[in-house]
Amino acid sequence: MEISNWVNPILLIAVPLAFAFSIPLFGFISKRVERFIPPLAMLFNLVISLILMPEVIKRPIVVSLAGFPPPFCINLFAGPVGILFSAVIALVGFLVSIYALDYIKEGAEEKYHMLYLSLLTGATGVVLTGDIFNLFVFFEILCISSYALVGYLGNRAGVESAAKYLIQGSVGSAFILIGIALLYGQFGTLNMADIAGNIHSVSPIQIFIPLVLFIVGFGIEGAIFPLNAWLPDAHSSAPSTISAVLSGIAIKIGIYAIARVVFTIFGASDMLLFLVLLGLLTLLVGELSAFSQNNIKRMLAYSSIGQIGLILFALGIGTDYGIAAGLFQFITHALSKSLLFLATGYMIYRVGSMEISSLEGIGKKMPLSSLCFTIGAFSLIGLPPFVGFPSKFWIVLSVLEKHSTLYIVFIGIVLLGTVIEAAYFFKVIQVLYFKGDTEETDPIVNKIPEASVVQEVKSSNAVKTGAPIVALIPMVILVLLIIGIGIYPKFLGDILNSSSLELLDRIKYIQGVLR
Amino acid sequence: MSFLADYIYYIGAFGLILIGLYILLTKHNLIKMIIGICVLDTGVNLLLVSLGYIKDGTAPIFSKPGLASENMVDPTVQALVLTAIVIGVAVMAMALSLAIRLYQHYGTLDMRKIKEQRW
Amino acid sequence: MRRIIGLILLIIIALGFGLSLTEIPFAVPKTKVGRYYIDKGIDQTGAVNIVTSVVLNYRGFDTLGEVTVLFIAATGLGAILATVKKKPGREFVPSSLVLSTGCRSLFPFILLFAAYIFLHGHLTPGGGFQGGAIIASAFLLVYLGCRERRVKERSIKAIESSAGLIFVIIGFLGLAVSGYFLFNFLPRGIPNTLLSAGIIPIIYIAIGFKVGSELTGIIDGLIEESE
Repeated sequence: MEISNWVNPILLIAVPLAFAFSIPLFGFISKRVERFIPPLAMLFNLVISLILMPEVIKRPIVVSLAGFPPPFCINLFAGPVGILFSAVIALVGFLVSIYALDYIKEGAEEKYHMLYLSLLTGATGVVLTGDIFNLFVFFEILCISSYALVGYLGNRAGVESAAKYLIQGSVGSAFILIGIALLYGQFGTLNMADIAGNIHSVSPIQIFIPLVLFIVGFGIEGAIFPLNAWLPDAHSSAPSTISAVLSGIAIKIGIYAIARVVFTIFGASDMLLFLVLLGLLTLLVGELSAFSQNNIKRMLAYSSIGQIGLILFALGIGTDYGIAAGLFQFITHALSKSLLFLATGYMIYRVGSMEISSLEGIGKKMPLSSLCFTIGAFSLIGLPPFVGFPSKFWIVLSVLEKHSTLYIVFIGIVLLGTVIEAAYFFKVIQVLYFKGDTEETDPIVNKIPEASVVQEVKSSNAVKTGAPIVALIPMVILVLLIIGIGIYPKFLGDILNSSSLELLDRIKYIQGVLR
Repeated sequence: MSFLADYIYYIGAFGLILIGLYILLTKHNLIKMIIGICVLDTGVNLLLVSLGYIKDGTAPIFSKPGLASENMVDPTVQALVLTAIVIGVAVMAMALSLAIRLYQHYGTLDMRKIKEQRW
Repeated sequence: MRRIIGLILLIIIALGFGLSLTEIPFAVPKTKVGRYYIDKGIDQTGAVNIVTSVVLNYRGFDTLGEVTVLFIAATGLGAILATVKKKPGREFVPSSLVLSTGCRSLFPFILLFAAYIFLHGHLTPGGGFQGGAIIASAFLLVYLGCRERRVKERSIKAIESSAGLIFVIIGFLGLAVSGYFLFNFLPRGIPNTLLSAGIIPIIYIAIGFKVGSELTGIIDGLIEESE
């Protein structure tokens, strides 16, 4: 218990924020040192989260800021869900920022690093907080950083996608704020535990409307079916490191917020069937649309939509095994999708185009990147030694545990989605490794985000034999994690079980905060 | 009629929200959409502030020591609205910078014509 | 067609809102946290402006997030407008003597007013955000009136970053002193005087400078564009 006296969960948010504010000051000293600050901050976060993890499995830590008792101040609730998520955010953020040490060479680099660190800080703040308006503020930090980072390169595609994303995202934020206003008007407090305690004192129709507003508002960021029109454009026009972080972290924070609101605050168990149906619909739309894409980043973006549908389906099952499986699928998708986007980053840079057909034969020229792409794809589909297999298997098991024929039909649809996923990924892997008979001599087709830099590469006839070492290290670490957790999933068993219990057990949450 | 007099602030706030949503749904010019976002944010802020009002209330400032504190309006919603206004300003600044870049690239601000990212 | 769908959607939303408002009476005190803040605000924080004590002390973490949002917006605006190819400068008519002298004379008074607002944030309505906005409007006046003057970008960035760091460092000092982030560790003083309320005036001064420099940076970026 002495550890939590000097390792306070507030450090997970305050220290990266201090680093983000101080990047320009470091920039006055030397321009080259700015790139190393995000990895440093995220390494700090990772270490602190891993130190805190055994603590919070036993008992969640409640930190009240400014020293006043909980309903009258903001509090942080560092439970198993929060620390697990912040560990995953820190890990993915750290690895992608190492990749970005060499990848980000144009534009205003110092501003990229400030925005990147703020995005991760916002994400960590959302998962750790215990107050609903504070969740909104950190959610806005996440969203506004991602609007700026999508349009970061300033080219036609990026700016158009960023504008559409911004308009839809701000409608979502307005809905969340209306929901908060209605909740405050009825309950008089903004603390999540306090609202959860009093939720049954009003009639159901009164809490139905804030619940719908929250699901729609957070669902725009989380890319649920009718609200995901911004996602394919945004994730395919952003630089690859940002696509990795957006797909791997940002959309999941939207789903986390929905889960927190539905399970902990409202305790709405009759809404779960609706979430299951929405998840299935999102899964089908995502996978079917991904199948017919020619642009590799757009295909990966649609695949993210499909996986989000799967996660929502798993969370909607509502049993503790189902929620643990859903949280495991979070981790799987974060690791695999980041690996896929990072691997395609340098491939696109090398070839100069995002069309799948122009990536023919890359398997021989960039063997390690193609191997990483293949491993990421297999893990997402769910093949055995990789981490996708235990997570999908747990989802299937948790559905079978429910003993309901309706859910058996649902599992059939999920497996159909998996088959479609396998189909399009195998198509890409086939193009990568088996050279077609047409040799592309001028592969600069269209839709190139890194156009100006690639022009230089083409003109100087540079022959890069693969991606640089700095980019390969994070990919290899991700591969090792994918294989390691895939072979030994019990490693995460404790933390996942206690996380799902935390989401389901509202009474313990309320008592933990309000005592 | 007294129903209307009591709830006029809420009806006004929701009216602004609905007008903002209508602008976002039906207008095509990007600047008009940004104005629509601004109207939407204003409506939400008005809703938040009017939740804190108490009849015949005054500002929660004790300018003379020992002022009567029963009639003071709720200070929490004012703090929330302060934050919400700043967030609204931040989003509008970003939206305007994107509008400038979009106009440079495409020469038009009509969102029906800016549709290169199709399928 | 799109209008009709839009209108139907809006009618559904309006019905939803109307339904939810029937439980929320207007002009009736309905909160318990509000009452707590008004009753115990002066004793616990020392600021006579209860809204300030809520913004900076009870819900100070939200204010930290809000300051970060503005920081991100200014940075994002700079990042998006940074890769623009500058058009060759067009000729502009320098402003007349009356206009430029008038603007330059008004500038220090507006800054004085802004300083008054953010220094007295805990005594009168106002505070750091409002004062910062007034600072930015002073700079806007100079930009519009005397068109050649510009603020150096380095100084804007330096003030912005150091003010933000000061806020976080004060929070860490609170953590080190008493184990709570953003704890009010300076003496509370006598209410209704300038030097009261512990850390609140210091944070408001930092926020005033930060918001002023950020909004000035935003205006600078947008005016550069139109040159």
